[in-house]
Amino acid sequence: MDPLALTAEALREPWRLWTGHLVHFGWGHAVANLFALLVPALLVPRQDRMRLLALLLLMPPLLSLLLLMDPDLGQYRGASGLACALWAWVGLRLGVRRESTSIGLMMLGGLLLKLGAEAALGGCFLVRPQGWQTLPAAHLWGSMLGLAFAFPVWPRFSHA
Amino acid sequence: MPRLPRLTSFGLALALLMGLGCNTPQTTTRRSSLMDYLYPKQQSAPVPNPAGARLKLPLKLGIAFVPGGSSSWRVQNLMAPGQEKPLLDVVKQSFRDKPWVADIKLVPSSYLRSGGGFENMDQLARMYGVDIMALVSVDQIQYTDPRWYSFTYLSVVGAYVLPGDANDTRTLIDAAVYDVASHTFLLRAPGQSQMKGSSTWAHREVQLREHSAKGLQLAMTDLARNLDTEVASFKAEIASGDRKDVDVVDRQGVSLRQSGGKNFGGSFGWIEALGALLILGAALRLRRA
Repeated sequence: MDPLALTAEALREPWRLWTGHLVHFGWGHAVANLFALLVPALLVPRQDRMRLLALLLLMPPLLSLLLLMDPDLGQYRGASGLACALWAWVGLRLGVRRESTSIGLMMLGGLLLKLGAEAALGGCFLVRPQGWQTLPAAHLWGSMLGLAFAFPVWPRFSHA
Repeated sequence: MPRLPRLTSFGLALALLMGLGCNTPQTTTRRSSLMDYLYPKQQSAPVPNPAGARLKLPLKLGIAFVPGGSSSWRVQNLMAPGQEKPLLDVVKQSFRDKPWVADIKLVPSSYLRSGGGFENMDQLARMYGVDIMALVSVDQIQYTDPRWYSFTYLSVVGAYVLPGDANDTRTLIDAAVYDVASHTFLLRAPGQSQMKGSSTWAHREVQLREHSAKGLQLAMTDLARNLDTEVASFKAEIASGDRKDVDVVDRQGVSLRQSGGKNFGGSFGWIEALGALLILGAALRLRRA
């Protein structure tokens, strides 16, 4: 078993709570997730960059604990749960500002489309990986976590 | 009158022998055999499908007690009318919430022919629309041993008052699960129980019947527990590639043998990654504007 993957061992080896989101099942898996992480990292409002860094440290263990509630989870690898959390968080932060409402809505819409497709198709869209299967619950939990961290948000249309 | 005392003493001796005879150790065996049902002696064992079993989740499971041989005991004779269903319900309840089970059908043992073989199993599977069949066989032995003071039964009163019989009921239940389409053996699980008690000579049969029924119930509960463990081992064996004759395909069409069973990854597909980059491009363009 990979010493960095997220497994139930994380209760004794806590680094897995973070590293599970860094390790992947292959280069293709890692690069696709990297693209997904890149978008909120580039679009985050300047004044929220430090918060984003703080969330990158805080959200992985919380998401890991939520994923470990599933007794059928043998091991989990991948940054997409975290990416979904950042898409939700950055999307909402942008969406409440007048100058970036459309960008925020685009991000939230894209995320909603992905979650909807996964709910309807039962897995990642057009992905048939070998040796592992996608975990839509990671994306759903990640999005919920991102939204939870973004609240409370107040529309800032007057400070444009 | 020399004949009367001789007759009387002969009668007394006979009664004494009968009384003692009733009080010797007794063993009752009740058995139904899976092998006798699936592979009756007159038939050669059918060869399983070389392609193996491909199980598509969720599965429809049928469960039934195997009948005994035609000349021997049949399981349904052991049970009081209506007792078979509650016993099978024990297994049904414990598997009701399992995500891999779509439905569990209880098949009455009266539908199973003695020595019916796979042909009979196929008929039942078609009739109930099930993918896999769990065939339950029972082996129950009841021992009755006299205690040292059981000689008091000779006084007649003792036979109704003193618990001079030590009764011991041992039950072993075995469930073998088969894939109906390929006749592939998937897994087996045992369940066992032991009931002990004392009874008077007059109450012996009542207690043995009670222990028989209770023993079956306890063994069935044990079986349900063990079956759960065996299913987990079975899944692990397929995922690790140890069972090359069986594969399980989940609801998304992913093979358990290929996925390794429990390896999950959070992933964006390439189409989604492309969509994300398009959103990024549009957002940057909007920001510049």
